[in-house]
Amino acid sequence: MQKDMLVASSLCVSFAQHKVLDNVSFEVAEGEVFALLGGNGAGKSTALKAFIGAVAPSDGDAQVMGMSVTKDIKKIRSKVAYLPESVMLYGHLTGVENIKYFLSLAEISKSQSEIEEALSRVALQPEAWNSQLSNYSKGMRQKTAIALALLRDAPVLFLDEPTSGLDPSAIDEFNQLITTLSADGTTVFMVSHDVYGACQVAHRIGLLDSGKIVGMFEREGDAHIDTEAVHSAFSNRGQA
Amino acid sequence: MISFSDIKREARFLVRQRHIAFLMILSFALSVFAVWSGIAETRAQSATIERLLEKNDVDRQGVLAKQKNYGGAAYYSFHLTYAQPSSLAFAAMGQRDVFPWKHRIRMLALEGQIYETDADNPELSLQGRFDFAFLAVVLLPLFIILLLHDLRSGERAAGRYDLLVVTAANERKLWLSRAIVLCSSLAVAVLVPFLIGAAISGASLQGILFFTLLVLAHIAFWMLLSLYIGKLKSLSALSSAQLASVLLAFWLSFAVLIPVGSDTIIDEVVESPSGGQIVLTQREAVNDAWDLPFSATWDEFLKTHPEWADKTNMNSQFEWKWYYAFQQAGDQKAANLSTAYREATQKKDALAGWVALLSPPMLTQRLMTSIAETDIQAMTAYEQCIRDYHASLREYYYPLLFNDVEFSVDQLKWVPEYSSAICDNT
Repeated sequence: MQKDMLVASSLCVSFAQHKVLDNVSFEVAEGEVFALLGGNGAGKSTALKAFIGAVAPSDGDAQVMGMSVTKDIKKIRSKVAYLPESVMLYGHLTGVENIKYFLSLAEISKSQSEIEEALSRVALQPEAWNSQLSNYSKGMRQKTAIALALLRDAPVLFLDEPTSGLDPSAIDEFNQLITTLSADGTTVFMVSHDVYGACQVAHRIGLLDSGKIVGMFEREGDAHIDTEAVHSAFSNRGQA
Repeated sequence: MISFSDIKREARFLVRQRHIAFLMILSFALSVFAVWSGIAETRAQSATIERLLEKNDVDRQGVLAKQKNYGGAAYYSFHLTYAQPSSLAFAAMGQRDVFPWKHRIRMLALEGQIYETDADNPELSLQGRFDFAFLAVVLLPLFIILLLHDLRSGERAAGRYDLLVVTAANERKLWLSRAIVLCSSLAVAVLVPFLIGAAISGASLQGILFFTLLVLAHIAFWMLLSLYIGKLKSLSALSSAQLASVLLAFWLSFAVLIPVGSDTIIDEVVESPSGGQIVLTQREAVNDAWDLPFSATWDEFLKTHPEWADKTNMNSQFEWKWYYAFQQAGDQKAANLSTAYREATQKKDALAGWVALLSPPMLTQRLMTSIAETDIQAMTAYEQCIRDYHASLREYYYPLLFNDVEFSVDQLKWVPEYSSAICDNT
């Protein structure tokens, strides 16, 4: 039996008087790709941020590899990699310099060849590696950040709207990469409003609406999750 | 604990940011200007003293050659007194801009001579001077605020904050090492011109060390305050501009409101006669003496100089010993006011010292002027030097005048000379 890498137990997050997450519970197993879907303001990014300690639970708990975010956030952060929705690395540094800087922050040592290998793996053109990030497109910045996440060798990967702004071929490459990582044992937690993309890559999908889990979809065998079913639930959320 | 690799990483990261490089160059240029203008001013003051000393000697020799008695010699001779700028005065001019640092005095009543410049337009001294202390005390905090106000909020606005804190092995080290690199660069930019200036001026190693430590401590205070304000959860929703406003409010309070407000309140609370009152009292006493019987002058004079009680006989309507006796009596009449003035100055200074504990910039300024010997204590010590020197002139001339010693130009070679060394020894 695979161990649970992520556990949300009756997780609640409130901002002022507003409850953004209301009693959310789920588990994500090792090597699983779990996608949290929902519309704008559903609370999916807040759920992700609760796992990386960027927002504090007002009630309940979020655990990563058995460690609570309220007690062991430093240890948790050393085990996870995070890809924000809008990747804004440092424009005055090159792609390689950005990666080196962030790796140094994480106190991780990687050789030049390992960095280049990661950049190749995310299909960033070699001619862009040593040009300033301010010249990158959004997709190129996204790839740089993914390469950084790969280089961290983190057992858990958090992705916030990872395919937003990517062109279709880049999305395919990205989905392939996530599948490979998952096969290698990396646990992936992603939030998205892209139903089709999530169904292509996720083992399970949780549907979030107004801070509550209103649906859970699971792969059956090797088949992708049924896009129609998820889309239908996504469109009809809040009408039950 | 911040490691060398943290510092190296942030230094390599920050050195590429143009606005930071620009601010460092600007700080360096301002420091060069402050140090240069300070050295130019102290050199001008020293040159003025040298020039006046030279002219004073020539002038006195010319005057004395024409005299036929000691009374006339004392009356027509001017004596230059002065407080040489210390080797660190270039960095903190302090009270040298407010108190006179040179006086040409005669053996007449002294208090009026000391305080006659107190009637100068005080607004001229309010303009202040752009010296190194002003840069370190007033401008440096603004540069630190400029560099650190958006340390976190800038990353939030750029959308990198979460990525940074999730990636960093130690979040505290990230912000602290960034702040240390920025503030250290600023310290280097500002202190290098100061150190060169101090070496040129021949300042003592101890003085340079204290001054440097003061600047570093002041920078550390503003760095920690900026980091603390930026870290407060209750302010985390504020934008960079709003956080800058909060920090500027602290700057305004510490560097402007507390010093200016306390100065106004202390002036109101501590009663002090004005220099003008002292001058007027002394001059009125001297002028009145011409119309009063001789006994009135002698009675007053003998209170402090009873040793001349047997020498007060007058052979004519004007004698120099009587003339200098009523000059002395004039000083005695103004003595209470003068003492009250000095005591009030000391009291104001002591109160300002307590208030400075609430304001790091004010405290830094006071400590700098203390090290540079340009504070109230140094300037009142100079005033005391003038009094001591003037007393030595009286001690020299009184026996000649009261004993009716036959005039000899050679005797005037022994007239006491003022030197800053005398002042230092007091």
